[in-house]
Amino acid sequence: MTDHIAARTRVSRRAFLRTVGVAGGTVALASTLGRGRALADEVKADPGVKRGGTLRYGILNAPAHFDLHQSGTVANIGPQSPMYDTLIRRDPRDGQTIIPDLAYKWDISPDSKKYTFYLRKGVKFHDGAELTSADVKATYDRIARPPKGVVIPRTPLFASVGEIVAPAPDRVEFRLTEPRPQAFMLGSFASGWNVIVRKKTLDDNQGNLRQVMAYPGTGPFKHVSRKDKEVWIQERNPEYWNKGLPYLDRLEIYHLPPFSPELGSAFLAGKIDYARLLDPVSWRKAKEMPGVTAASFNQSVIQAFWTNGKRKPFADPRVRRAIHLAMDRPALIDVVKDTAPMQIGGFVYPFHEASTPRAELEKRLGYQKDVKPAVQEAQRLMKEAGHGQGLKGLDFVVRDINTFKLWAVAIQAMLKENLNIESNLRVVQTSQWFDEASAGNFDLAISAIVSTLMDPSDYFNAWYGKDGPQNYGSWTNEQFHALTKQIDHELDESKRKALIRQAEGILEQDPPLIPIAYEQIYDAWYNRVRGQNPSKFFGIYDVVRWDVVSLAQT
Amino acid sequence: MRKYLLRRAVFALGTLIGVSLIIFVVLRILPGDPLVAILGVEGYARLAPADRAHLMHDLGLSDPLPVQYVRWLRDIAAGQLGKSFFRGDTVAELILRRGPISAEIAFLALFVSWLVGLPVGILSALRPNGWADAIARSISVLFIAVPGFWLGLLIVLGLLFWFGYKAPIVIVQLWENPWQNLQIVLGPAVVLGLAQGAYIARMSRSCLLEVIREDYVRTARAKGAVERAVVLHHALPNALLPVVTISGVLLGFVLGGSVAVEQAFGVPGLGRALVTAVVERDIIVVQNLVLLYALIFVAVNVLVDLSYGWLDPRIRY
Repeated sequence: MTDHIAARTRVSRRAFLRTVGVAGGTVALASTLGRGRALADEVKADPGVKRGGTLRYGILNAPAHFDLHQSGTVANIGPQSPMYDTLIRRDPRDGQTIIPDLAYKWDISPDSKKYTFYLRKGVKFHDGAELTSADVKATYDRIARPPKGVVIPRTPLFASVGEIVAPAPDRVEFRLTEPRPQAFMLGSFASGWNVIVRKKTLDDNQGNLRQVMAYPGTGPFKHVSRKDKEVWIQERNPEYWNKGLPYLDRLEIYHLPPFSPELGSAFLAGKIDYARLLDPVSWRKAKEMPGVTAASFNQSVIQAFWTNGKRKPFADPRVRRAIHLAMDRPALIDVVKDTAPMQIGGFVYPFHEASTPRAELEKRLGYQKDVKPAVQEAQRLMKEAGHGQGLKGLDFVVRDINTFKLWAVAIQAMLKENLNIESNLRVVQTSQWFDEASAGNFDLAISAIVSTLMDPSDYFNAWYGKDGPQNYGSWTNEQFHALTKQIDHELDESKRKALIRQAEGILEQDPPLIPIAYEQIYDAWYNRVRGQNPSKFFGIYDVVRWDVVSLAQT
Repeated sequence: MRKYLLRRAVFALGTLIGVSLIIFVVLRILPGDPLVAILGVEGYARLAPADRAHLMHDLGLSDPLPVQYVRWLRDIAAGQLGKSFFRGDTVAELILRRGPISAEIAFLALFVSWLVGLPVGILSALRPNGWADAIARSISVLFIAVPGFWLGLLIVLGLLFWFGYKAPIVIVQLWENPWQNLQIVLGPAVVLGLAQGAYIARMSRSCLLEVIREDYVRTARAKGAVERAVVLHHALPNALLPVVTISGVLLGFVLGGSVAVEQAFGVPGLGRALVTAVVERDIIVVQNLVLLYALIFVAVNVLVDLSYGWLDPRIRY
């Protein structure tokens, strides 16, 4: 007995190393989030990398306006972000780790209510002005509390920011009214959208940069010229604070719309070096080409359809769950396989650490390859809700985009076959879809919604929140909303993860929307392009600066 | 002549005012909000009603419709075509940059249509109901039936997959680099020209068949004139009048067809700009471009009418 206890309490070499490893990892994580990153983690120029050359990049390059803060589309962040920097950033080497940018370090107070960022000295905007904390304050004042007529999709991320103070030219403090998880806050600061602009620029334009094409940034590339819907040319910023970067002399950013034959053909014909958002057919072709690398990665978008919670049958969670279970998701992904790449997921990003692991999810009703058990359960629920005979004449509003049109037909057939629900498709232009959805003029409505962060505190509020701007089904569930508040404030990561899984369980039983799939992105590049592999990136909005990209042959 | 010109000018003005009214009203009636394109779907979803009203006012869309319409006409009269809702580019800049490419495509297409259509029509008329006529008529019908954008896509894909070729992806003007410019405009011009060439072939065949039976043609033959001279000097000039008329109409089709064909070839011309503007609900760009197309169509028709007097000395205004 004594020996047994001794054996349990004795620290073996292996156990010791494991303990030290875990402790070391914890300390490293704490330093990452809490105490600021060491300078060693910064992106530094590698003297061995070949310099010079022009990168020809194909991406959507027809922004509706030029105000990055006000935008939510790749048409802005794609061509504009090489001209700007953020306070902190996602490491371009892995797309995940948060590392210093204009702030060389940061501190977080023990109560998580104060974030202090220390700014680099000698950073210059492209117009020659020096960066100060006043510029950072002006930028974030605008993001957190936009002036009249300015709409910034990232504003809710900074809802807990009560005050932004610039106590010194190289220091800026964010004082929160209530603590938020550090990963959430730092993720918000590191978002590629939150570029730092000059206070003077904002003042000169009354806080609205929609019509200002090339307002000065501090980024690695400078504006040279732009031909609308053709090409945006930028050149290396010789005054860039990160000495030795960027490696490239010039960027030519061509306007080539996502998933379009123009983009695919321009890449396959060698007119561009790097293509973002290729269509699946061109991507598969590119993958077979020698000297080309093709990568797929996760995008911050859920494809879904909504049931109108204000209309009677859909107020009943059993009806919504029945519809959720009646979907053959593997088939839906197959329907659009030549139009857009997709993957199965539920109500939480399927690749997020807090979501149900894929293997487990695929055993769950509604996500299985064999849909029979789910359909039987769905039929039972419909019967129990008093709709065993099905529903007739539902108004199904469809956005006039290929994937939605393909899916709508398949969903219509699945609903009819599995639940005897009959619907009439009404295809409408994108802007009309939002009018109809906001006004509640639909029974079913299909679209896609995006989030800035992978963190549920961002999209649980926007997509499923009681007054969430994308809660098109007008869904409410008091238990879920209370849980969301807890998730927003819980600082302990493991406790938070458990709460997220709990919330996921509620969403499965009482769906606020019917998830169809999660989007993926297809990129391809010729192997002469070095220093960029987005395979582990989340979305196309954070690592978008091209400062560490080089060309092997110039 | 002066009276005739004045009358035509008044009719043309009436037509243009009619077009402007229709396009203005249609664009305001059609559902769709430009703010979705301007702010993106996330921004639009978060837009408060007060902000929406503020933005609509900034775009000049909150004024009463008659005020907006009069303001548009006044801008046109002052030579200002207004600004796009997006990015602030002026419509005049857009037309100056992209117009030459679309104009080249249109004229080259017209040239191709005559180059292909006229010989085929003559051949068919001289050997009616023979095998050459049958082949020519079949091909004519085929080119009329096949949609230009589909043919365009096939050409683009064929060139890409067989030869790894793609035309330049940005505008290169004729005076900057004629060879690259030709690569941009040739594809759409050939596709549009072949379709219009089919009409020209059918029209010239039927007109030539009719003229060739006239007494003066028989007289020419009786005089001992060689067949080539009979056809080219006596029959053809008289048969061309309806072909010229239809060419004017076809130019309108070329302009209309170029919208889809430019899209298929990925040519950054005015047609493609129009498609994008429609998708973005960029009302100012759409209404000005449609009016420009209408103006060109009306002007070409006036020119065609005036050319009758030159082609046929019997016609006097």
